[in-house]
Amino acid sequence: MTEKEEILVIKDLHVRVDDKEILKGVSLTVRRGEIHALMGRNGSGKSTLSYTLMGHPRYKVTAGQIWYKGSDLTALAADERSRSGIYLAFQYPVAIPGVSVSNFLRAAVKSRRGTDVPVKEFRKELRNRMSSLNIKDDFLSRYINDGFSGGEKKRLEILQMELLAPDLAVLDETDSGLDIDALKTVASGINSMTGPDVAILLITHYQRLLNYITPDYVHVMQDGQIVMSGGSELAHQLEARGYDWVAPAPVV
Amino acid sequence: MAEQKTVSTATQVDDPTKRREEPTWMKEARLASWESYLSTQLPGIRDDGWHRTDISGLNLADLRAVDFHSPEASASVSPWVIPALDSLSSHSGVLIQEAGTPAYLKLDSELADKGVVFCDIETALKTHGDKVRRYLGEPADLNDDKFTNLIKSWFNCGLFLFVPPGVEIANPLLSFTSVNYRSSGIADGAVLPRLLVVASEGSRVTLLHSVTAPLSQAVDTALHAGLVDIHIEQAAHVSYLELTEFGPAVYSVTNTRAWLNKDASFTSLTAALGGRLVKGEISTYLNGQGASAEVAGVVLGADNEKYSFNTIEEHNAPDTRSNIHFRTALKDSSTSIYQGIIRVDREAQRTDAYQSNKNLLLGSGAKADSIPKLEILADDVRCSHGATVGPVDQEQVFYLMSRGLTAAEAEELIVLGFFTTVMAKFDHKPAIAWVGSAIASKLIAHDRDSRKQSAGEQK
Repeated sequence: MTEKEEILVIKDLHVRVDDKEILKGVSLTVRRGEIHALMGRNGSGKSTLSYTLMGHPRYKVTAGQIWYKGSDLTALAADERSRSGIYLAFQYPVAIPGVSVSNFLRAAVKSRRGTDVPVKEFRKELRNRMSSLNIKDDFLSRYINDGFSGGEKKRLEILQMELLAPDLAVLDETDSGLDIDALKTVASGINSMTGPDVAILLITHYQRLLNYITPDYVHVMQDGQIVMSGGSELAHQLEARGYDWVAPAPVV
Repeated sequence: MAEQKTVSTATQVDDPTKRREEPTWMKEARLASWESYLSTQLPGIRDDGWHRTDISGLNLADLRAVDFHSPEASASVSPWVIPALDSLSSHSGVLIQEAGTPAYLKLDSELADKGVVFCDIETALKTHGDKVRRYLGEPADLNDDKFTNLIKSWFNCGLFLFVPPGVEIANPLLSFTSVNYRSSGIADGAVLPRLLVVASEGSRVTLLHSVTAPLSQAVDTALHAGLVDIHIEQAAHVSYLELTEFGPAVYSVTNTRAWLNKDASFTSLTAALGGRLVKGEISTYLNGQGASAEVAGVVLGADNEKYSFNTIEEHNAPDTRSNIHFRTALKDSSTSIYQGIIRVDREAQRTDAYQSNKNLLLGSGAKADSIPKLEILADDVRCSHGATVGPVDQEQVFYLMSRGLTAAEAEELIVLGFFTTVMAKFDHKPAIAWVGSAIASKLIAHDRDSRKQSAGEQK
């Protein structure tokens, strides 16, 4: 079997937010078809890595490199990254009052596919995907994340991911705040995305999502660095022994 | 006095009334208002409601009232109205008034049979004098300001809408007024519409009124000044939408007044999408017990446009309710001032009043002010207000960009959404979409212009 393309290569990445260095030398390589789980305590830098990969302007790369599909990613704005196939499922998606989910999804899909999708066809695709995620029809006329429950927000993130069909999906704590049924629905949505060409980076605090999705690799983050990597069994060891087993909690 | 150069004597004022074959009482009312006009000063920035609204650049003496004409059977729908008619689809009547050409008028015959009157103001004076005299023949009001007097003496277009008791009109009535200053060859023109709406007891009607003056720098100054009087009788309902889009040469001053009787209700949406200086005052008089008003405004400014809006809610009877939502988004160096007044009379117990004003600053030179004023004399009331001024939430922009939208597309969507939440309070969906698309066109056209400009600067 030939080695799959290295879709994402991160080398010694340092990132500052405002004036604070959060990532202190992260290195990670992800190939197409792989699922990587990134675990760690709150505040270890997991979300910073996800925002940095998506190109949030507040997150400044001060050293190191990010290569995506063989090119330097850091020069691209968030919208260019999205159009080239990177997707971030937000931990806390923002509400945008007045903008309906259906208008937004159409605009997003048009940007990613580079062409307008015929309304009828789009509606059909949308309904199919919505029903498999247990999303009601009235969702479309509601405003983006406005008054959404935690579960509804996460489902909308997954729905968008399916529609935008990314090459690299970063899921930031997509399991947080979900009850068991919602967790199963969201997990099956993620599983339906997987394939030989898609790379997935699952950021999670707990192991419970990994009961439904089996990662190829598990990494543990601590104080802005990846301090341990292993196979899927590492997640179970972490669950059993806690993060202290990997590294002591930083002194605050 | 400067005005005397242009229109100095009663004889000259008399001319338009004669040519329009108006009744004597109308001529007298025009003349009385003209006298008041001559003796009132142009509002200054210290006058109530005119804070930071400098209109001194407007030389009223140089202005001449534009010619409008009565409807003719042979008149046709002008091409510029067709897109609006298409998007608004179902309607019960249309009035199109264009400077220099005969007006177009159509009203469903079924409504005419029921006694509904919908026509231009000139026709109303000719054929419905008995119905309009009560409102238009009133003696000059000492409280009227310069512009109100100007409109009362010189109004040259406008409409009359009368809905008999108990008649409910499901589809809206549409009014389009256009002044193409360039092609009509009118420099320093003044378009002075007077709108009169009378909704009799238990009636229901929606009126959508749009005024446009194309985007042209062809003249130094032009004026749109409108007076909109809406009388809502017991348990009647009026929905009124006003959309104005003016070019950078046009000053606009609009005074909208609604009087609500017992259990009457009023829903209004004012959309201001352009002009050199756009001043609007919207007064709601809740005079009958149980009356309620829902007043919304959306303003999109660009370049050096200036906006100044006042809303005045007068609660004069018990159990009255008012909800004001005014939203402004300002690009470039456009500015806005909003002043919202809630007055609650001693009699008006159990008043429920809310006022919200939100301002989005999109341009680096944009500026917005918000002045709430509460004057409450009753003791059992619920009154609250809130105001915000700030830039677009960058987290919202990032979220949309992370889905592939460009920064400009993201901002457009957010601004449209910002307006949509208050436009949604207007109870006619196609009208909301119509105004929404006008807002989107301005946002997009403006982005394109500024991109061109910055590309030009780089070369």
